Amino acid sequence: MSGDIIVMGGGIIGLSCALELRRRGLNVALLEKGPCGGQASGAAAGMLAPYSENVESPDEFFRLCRESLSLYPQWQQAVKDISGVPFEYAETGSLYVVRHEADLLALESRLEWQRSWGSGGEILTGSALFDAEPGLTREAVAALRTPVESHVYAPDLTEAVKRACLASGVQIHEHLGRIELAEWRERVALWAQNGERFEADRLLISTGAWVQEMSEPLGIRIPVHPIRGQICAYTWNEERERLRHLVFTSQGYLVQKANGTLVCGASEDIAGFDTSVTEKGIRRLTEWNKQVLPVLGEVQPFHRWAGLRPAVLDGRPLIGRLDDAGHIFVAAGHYRNGILLSPVTAALIADSVEGKPLPEWCGAFRPNRFGEVQAGAFSGK
Amino acid sequence: MNRDNWQVGGQELSSRLFLGTGLFPDPYVQMEAIKASGTEVLTFAIRRIHLDSVEDDSILQHVEPQKYIYLPNTSGATTADEAVRIARLARASGLSDWVKVEISANKRTLLPDPIETLRATEILVKEGFTVLPYISDDPVICKKLEEAGAAAVMPGAAPIGTGLGILNPYHLGLIVEELSVPVIVDAGLGTASDVALAMELGVSGILMNTPVAKAKDPVMMARSMRLAIEAGRLAYLSGRIPKKKYASASSGLESLVIE
Repeated sequence: MSGDIIVMGGGIIGLSCALELRRRGLNVALLEKGPCGGQASGAAAGMLAPYSENVESPDEFFRLCRESLSLYPQWQQAVKDISGVPFEYAETGSLYVVRHEADLLALESRLEWQRSWGSGGEILTGSALFDAEPGLTREAVAALRTPVESHVYAPDLTEAVKRACLASGVQIHEHLGRIELAEWRERVALWAQNGERFEADRLLISTGAWVQEMSEPLGIRIPVHPIRGQICAYTWNEERERLRHLVFTSQGYLVQKANGTLVCGASEDIAGFDTSVTEKGIRRLTEWNKQVLPVLGEVQPFHRWAGLRPAVLDGRPLIGRLDDAGHIFVAAGHYRNGILLSPVTAALIADSVEGKPLPEWCGAFRPNRFGEVQAGAFSGK
Repeated sequence: MNRDNWQVGGQELSSRLFLGTGLFPDPYVQMEAIKASGTEVLTFAIRRIHLDSVEDDSILQHVEPQKYIYLPNTSGATTADEAVRIARLARASGLSDWVKVEISANKRTLLPDPIETLRATEILVKEGFTVLPYISDDPVICKKLEEAGAAAVMPGAAPIGTGLGILNPYHLGLIVEELSVPVIVDAGLGTASDVALAMELGVSGILMNTPVAKAKDPVMMARSMRLAIEAGRLAYLSGRIPKKKYASASSGLESLVIE
């Protein structure tokens, strides 16, 4: 088969880009070696929290996250409308909870710059805090409430975006096994393991934690590595006090889902491509979370899982076209924020494919920024 | 290079870099940067650490504790009493006897409060801590901190995280001259040349976090800082040439004669 563009990788980023490109009128084929959403996307807790995830300063990455949050209400509605698949999107706001008086200074600094970037935040202490979130430990000194943060049920969202792609006419090819890049300098050609050949004018690479495999064929340095995240979930039905906000601490987060579960994440493990769940990883979560929500000391998680986040050397995703190959695009390396960053990534990639220049601050995400592959030039690692 | 070890609070060290563990994009990059930096001392905010179970902490769980000395800091404290309470918490958890006193007076500049810092240093020294106060680059207060029993004194080159480099090399030089405990430049440096300059001024070591953690390639930058420290230190020990107004030919005049 042949078409306008091939999207390589069926995670939330690849699917979202495919959907947007199709909506802008391109013929799109998406290739996935396993099932769509089978890696980080399906494992994610779905937090849409640019302010809680960026506590230091309003840099380009924060800006990208915030831009995407502002696109979410419309985008998620469009996905629902096109796919006909419902999913949870909960505008609950968040609490970043601290247990030390010394954290107040940092919270105040954060509040100051984040309010000027539209967080609508406020610091809650004492009874105001416990009224807002009754289950919290009374050892909590304060919390920064950010009302504009929200969350989404990531596995359902991923499925809905896939359905929306199919409904719009994206051709999705799953379970292809190994996919090899055969040609890319002029036209693009890929071989699937079963011998099927796919051709197109353009290529978008969105293979998440596996994107480094493209470094050698393309001749550019793509320093992306997997960081395992372990998560657990508790049964949390009507008998229990529902958590009203997303709850963040320096050690992790808690989020109440509409399906009667409470999700607690997440570890950041250096474990290569190993997706096992470990006793130590889960114990770490269950040890700290009961200090935030004491009732967790009485219950055990019913479900534990792990996913691989694609982490980039400078902590920023790769988004845009290649400098010397204007028909090759990359959207990968979204680390902890792939679900949040889907709408903005899809919009930027679609603009880029249409030949529009990206805003200057998006230069921070240039896929070429780490230079070319040169043997021996990088002995520092 | 000959052995050029130094001591802080009776602890012999070979690396002259103390590295902060905050702000790294992820634990893998952090650990690779720590390795590349050659550091022996890691510093972090006590308030961010899961003190009830340090080995499970989101950052420290990745570090082999026997390989490093921990220098926990009291960042976030605004008074001496608060800093003292935080330091006691850290010691009670078995984290470390070392403490970096960091007491900020202003949430925008995070510049240290000299009076509260001196007070906290006095109290913590009496309680047997190895105290390394973070302070402004003022020679008088630095001397007073030494007199109060600080194991090393850590003047800032510029406000934390600004990367402005050494704003007052004259003061830094005076501080080195007047103190007998090690002087460690803490905060405000931006890149390798800043580090080399500080070392050429004769400071004993460098504490940094942001310039490494927020670099495009933190691992390579960590290595760069290690090399800059070594280069600056060697230049300091070797003795630089005096500055002269006019040129003097390096190979002698006769080599310039054209046949």
